[in-house]
Amino acid sequence: MIGCYDFCGHYEWTFGWMEQLGGHDLVRAYWLEAISQDAQTHAEAEIVPHGIEGMKRYWEHTLAEEAAEHVMTATDKVYRIDMHQCPSKGFLIHNGLEQYRDYCDHCMGWIGPMMEKAGFVVDHEHNHCGQCWWEMRRKNDATPASEPGALSGENDVRLRSDWKSPQTDHYERATDPDDKTAVS
Amino acid sequence: MPSPDSLPSPLPYTDTKPVGAADFYTAINATFRFLFRHFGREGLLRYWHDLGTKYHAPVSARWKSGGLHAVAAHWKAFFDAEPGAEVDVIEEDHEVRVCVKTCPAIRHLREQGREIVPFFCQHCHYVSEAMAKPAGLTVRLSGGNGACEQRFVKTGAEDAPQRAEDIATVS
Repeated sequence: MIGCYDFCGHYEWTFGWMEQLGGHDLVRAYWLEAISQDAQTHAEAEIVPHGIEGMKRYWEHTLAEEAAEHVMTATDKVYRIDMHQCPSKGFLIHNGLEQYRDYCDHCMGWIGPMMEKAGFVVDHEHNHCGQCWWEMRRKNDATPASEPGALSGENDVRLRSDWKSPQTDHYERATDPDDKTAVS
Repeated sequence: MPSPDSLPSPLPYTDTKPVGAADFYTAINATFRFLFRHFGREGLLRYWHDLGTKYHAPVSARWKSGGLHAVAAHWKAFFDAEPGAEVDVIEEDHEVRVCVKTCPAIRHLREQGREIVPFFCQHCHYVSEAMAKPAGLTVRLSGGNGACEQRFVKTGAEDAPQRAEDIATVS
């Protein structure tokens, strides 16, 4: 049986397997069709009709179930997650698993299209070490991403001494997993 | 190489939390549906085979060195970490029987009202067979659709081939 205990291991392995089979387009299609539009329909049912309130309900449940060390900050205009210890990337690091070139992209791969459908855009960075942050705002809100500490105070993951890594990926008002730039 | 008994866990990949997150079963089910839709049964079988022989290669190595005792220890630890599983693992002279009284995946997917791919239970046979073969074992599965029996048998001790009709369609 394929289990959920080591799910992140075979999930990450599957990205590499699919890329070998059908290239990057197949991996993107997998994140969109299988994860965003099929596995995560419970997220869509909360987020698309309810916006920020739905995000709060969805991630409160799912991040608790995954035992993520995180902080959520929400106003009526923005929803922010500071992920201090990603259980998913942490599992891969702990077990030395790396079949695919950037596991962290899968989050934007399924969350991005869902946010687009809900009328939101995403500012996001991940440092490939199990830390990341997300800010979701409505598409018609031109407010830029917050400065470190401005929105989530001392809980802002960017204030960690170990935040900076050799390569951090940066997304600005994005909904597409490929719309990223590297921050050195 | 240490014996399986001296290892801290019978599972090659371990987590800091004792059980997995059941919502991931929806992704497993969706992955099978995606592959079947894009590549048909042949693509799905290839995925299951490669998953068993490549991702699970460390399991096969442990079973090869540790024999049936390692197989039993693996499945006991495996199902202890799957939320909602009710399983008996019985080690006998020539085989290990894994008696799944409540399949945690089928149970969760049903509780969530998900459409389960009808061939879901086949993955247990094909992935396990790919894991077992390098260890000198073969797998026979009967039942499914929420409860089944999986036998991990020493190659040569089981003459009858796996019958497709012995694996239930999920309904």
